[in-house]
Amino acid sequence: MTTKSLTIAGAPRRRKFPWPTFGRAVGLTAVVVTFVAPLAWMLLASFKTNVDIYDSSKMFAFLPTLDNYGTVFGQANYGAYIWNSFFVAFVATVLSLVLAVPAAYSMSRFVMGRSAMVVLLARIIPGVSLLVPWYFVFSQMRLVGSFAVLILSMMFVSLPLILYIMMSYFDSMPEELEEAAQVDGLTPIGAFLRITLPLSMPGVATAGILSFIFAWNNFMFALVLSGASTKTLPVAIFDFVGYASIDWGGLMAAAVIVTLPIMVIALFTQKYIVSGLTAGATKG
Amino acid sequence: MSQVAHGDVGAWEKTSRWVNRRRKWVFAAPAMIFVALLLVFPVVWTLYLSFTNSKGSVRAPFDFTGFENYFTVLTDTERFWPAVGRTAYFTGGALVFEVILGIAIALLLWKPFKGERLVRVAILLPLVATPVAVGMMWRLIFEPNIGFANEFLSWFGIPAQPWLSSPDTALSTLVFVDVWQWTPMVTLIILAGLTALPEEPDEAARVDGANWWQRLWYVTLPLLAPTITAAVVLRGIDALKTFDILYATKGKGGGSFHEVETLNIYAYGLSFDYNRYGQASTVLILFFLMIIGLIWILSLRKKAANK
Amino acid sequence: MKHRVALKAAALAVGVLTVGALAGCTTSGGEASDVVRVTLANHVWTDLIKEKIPEFEEQTGLTVELTQLGEDQLSDQYNVKLNAGTDEIDVMMYRPLQEGKLFAQNGYLAELDDRIDAASDWDWSDFQAGPAEATTYEDTVVGVPLVTESEVLYYRTDLLEQAGLEVPTTLAELENAAKLVSEANPGVAGFIARTGRSAAVTQFSSYLFSFGGDFSEQGTAAVNSPEAVEAYEYYGGMIHKYGPQNVSTDMNWAEASAIFAQGQAAFYTDASSLYQNLALPENSTVSDKLGYAPFPEGPAGSKPYSIPAWALGLNSGSGNQDNGWKFIEWATSFDTVLATQEAGVPGARTSVWDDPAGTSSFPAALAAAIQANAQNGVGYDRPLVVNVAEAREIVGDPIVVGITGGDVPAAAETAEQKFQAFLDDENQ
Repeated sequence: MTTKSLTIAGAPRRRKFPWPTFGRAVGLTAVVVTFVAPLAWMLLASFKTNVDIYDSSKMFAFLPTLDNYGTVFGQANYGAYIWNSFFVAFVATVLSLVLAVPAAYSMSRFVMGRSAMVVLLARIIPGVSLLVPWYFVFSQMRLVGSFAVLILSMMFVSLPLILYIMMSYFDSMPEELEEAAQVDGLTPIGAFLRITLPLSMPGVATAGILSFIFAWNNFMFALVLSGASTKTLPVAIFDFVGYASIDWGGLMAAAVIVTLPIMVIALFTQKYIVSGLTAGATKG
Repeated sequence: MSQVAHGDVGAWEKTSRWVNRRRKWVFAAPAMIFVALLLVFPVVWTLYLSFTNSKGSVRAPFDFTGFENYFTVLTDTERFWPAVGRTAYFTGGALVFEVILGIAIALLLWKPFKGERLVRVAILLPLVATPVAVGMMWRLIFEPNIGFANEFLSWFGIPAQPWLSSPDTALSTLVFVDVWQWTPMVTLIILAGLTALPEEPDEAARVDGANWWQRLWYVTLPLLAPTITAAVVLRGIDALKTFDILYATKGKGGGSFHEVETLNIYAYGLSFDYNRYGQASTVLILFFLMIIGLIWILSLRKKAANK
Repeated sequence: MKHRVALKAAALAVGVLTVGALAGCTTSGGEASDVVRVTLANHVWTDLIKEKIPEFEEQTGLTVELTQLGEDQLSDQYNVKLNAGTDEIDVMMYRPLQEGKLFAQNGYLAELDDRIDAASDWDWSDFQAGPAEATTYEDTVVGVPLVTESEVLYYRTDLLEQAGLEVPTTLAELENAAKLVSEANPGVAGFIARTGRSAAVTQFSSYLFSFGGDFSEQGTAAVNSPEAVEAYEYYGGMIHKYGPQNVSTDMNWAEASAIFAQGQAAFYTDASSLYQNLALPENSTVSDKLGYAPFPEGPAGSKPYSIPAWALGLNSGSGNQDNGWKFIEWATSFDTVLATQEAGVPGARTSVWDDPAGTSSFPAALAAAIQANAQNGVGYDRPLVVNVAEAREIVGDPIVVGITGGDVPAAAETAEQKFQAFLDDENQ
């Protein structure tokens, strides 16, 4: 299909100046610059001293320093925060996948619209209304400040997301293969495990990556539910906003450190992310 | 030995058959129970508190006050209704720009070109960046005296703007930040919709002599309508609940004139700044009802469109 | 029927197993323990004490588990955790004037009287009277003051010299000097201070007191008194007339001090604790032209606030209060306070201020200004109520109206009515 559209778009006009192509190139450049420039600026600022940040004449010409990163890793315990963020996001993603993928399969195959709605409610409810009650319950269960409570709260974000993506993925998968497998003697669950699941791995990858990103970025739940030894990166950023000083350089370095891992992941998995974000949406 | 093993197999088979017959619920129930466990108590609790005058501490004694909070909140033209207005302005403003720009960028990206991968990665970056970090980044960029935004304007001889620091421009500036961060998502959704479109209608229109704009307006966009609705619903829910960037840039209360205080920020402030838990719960319940109402209206429209 | 029950049980078991498996990594505990869990704010004091904690651990054999958060995030966490009756926090750093009354009223703070009586060497009577009063609730001590601050006048020595002006000692002189300097130096503001509705209230309080006003008198709102209106008009007018162009009405100390640190303002009044943002070359371009003066006199004299910004308290829900108290006792002992004050954080112990070493690290003019302020100072800088956040927004409104050049008397009248209603509501 794409090759066909290519020939249609490319063939006719050759003689005149290629205005459409030119316009498109300009448009695309503008798009890239708009989306990347602020992040690039953040990166620049993370290599500046505070005095240079305050001096607009040193916007681009300045003496780069690694001090901010030294502060971040030296003074604040960033190594541990990176591990915390990673651990929480990873475990929450794995557990959410275990719960959500079979549920999505069932809800897709048996067309359980109302049940799906219950799970998707979790995506709709304002997080503020969950904080105090959750804390109250979790503290009775002695879970606050532990990784458990953070993981549970992140799963609350991840699970509906995975369910949503996987439901549309299973919707688009033909049932014939499973039926054939059952004729060959597999149980329905066996067919799901041996046939459907392996075939839906790209979808699982997509859902997993997105869930990881959302859990990594989550701020509101982590702010309230994390403790001394479980603090995650988005909360740790506020270490650089002190009672009597804002360390802009350190803040920008911290921001870079928070976003960098997730961007690297995005770079390598962009194919899956794109298909995940667009899953189901096309059907409306 | 073999007998025992045989017995095991029998039990295993029995269970297996039982599980297979009920796989619909065996698969669906754990996820549903997990969500319900985490959801039911907070919702019931919030609903309960919304009928009380709980304040100071949730463990402090409080009285059941019936619909008093609802009356107070719904007649509050100083904080509540402006917050509703700001929520609508923020969500509406963000959605309009995100959808228009999203369609435009998706059209730019539609047909293959050199460097496609690079562009896709570029538009993916804002989307995956951590919102709190993004909020901090924009806070520095929009700093009226030292930020890049005013420096940029000065290159074109445009006078410095107050951006986030003025009550008149703060909310619009945050709409811009939201548009920057989330237009890529709308773009990607619409791009997927475009790629899945059948080619015949477009071909037919071309044969009939329709120009590029006519084909876009009368053929492509109507076909794309369900995708656009889906993008609006997805993005709309998240935009209504926006918290991270507002908190990171303006803090609790949303500025001196509450200029960026949306319903979510207002509820947060009532809970954690004013410690008025009863009233905060009322606002949250009303907010929740509004979101559900909006989704309901949209789904009705979708159903009508499908018929 | 049976199946359905079995199914439910199975599903529940899965859920419980998940939670149970996760609970394996819990670290919490409510009983007395060798681990003291201390929650501190991001503050210079915290940075200093962190370096000294190993000393404490060695002396006592206890382990300190430290949580450190920004000011707002700290209060958010307290609001959630203390509300739920947490025992995860033993020692907490809090703001006596902001949250103290609320926390004490809710019973979050453990009573310290008996412990204080038992610790005679530690000597509670050595703490300055104003700060000590702020950590006392209904005649019971609930916290120990940690860091004190007062409002001082920061100024640019070079700009004053250039204009041939003396350091202002009255508010009238300050206005005149701001006017002259801003006229002589286009692009440099004569005066800057906090402008955020809530943020400015504490810095405005010194002006209010020095004009002879107060937020309330005997439980009655007083923000529309002639003195208060005069103070509102002065503070707002100074920024409106001599402040930077396009001034933001959202500035906290961070934004206001940045303007001064970049050399864009001649005078700046704010908390003494901020001086390192202006005095250290890595933060400031004016560090070598920086002057300090006591708060200027108004019609009622020089009456700056002089308050305990932070204090340490014990969480009443903690099962580990004895060891928590050991930490507080150590962190507020003469030796520790002397050490932190030597490193630049003003403490609340009289004996440390009397010790020459205690003031050695401050710029001489700043130390003099702080000590002058301590003599005339008022022990609070915001309305003394339970719900401080809401009260600040009410009484802060006329400040912002003044900064934008609006009708201050009318705004003060509105604020008066709202504040009275607020006080009535709180006192019923």
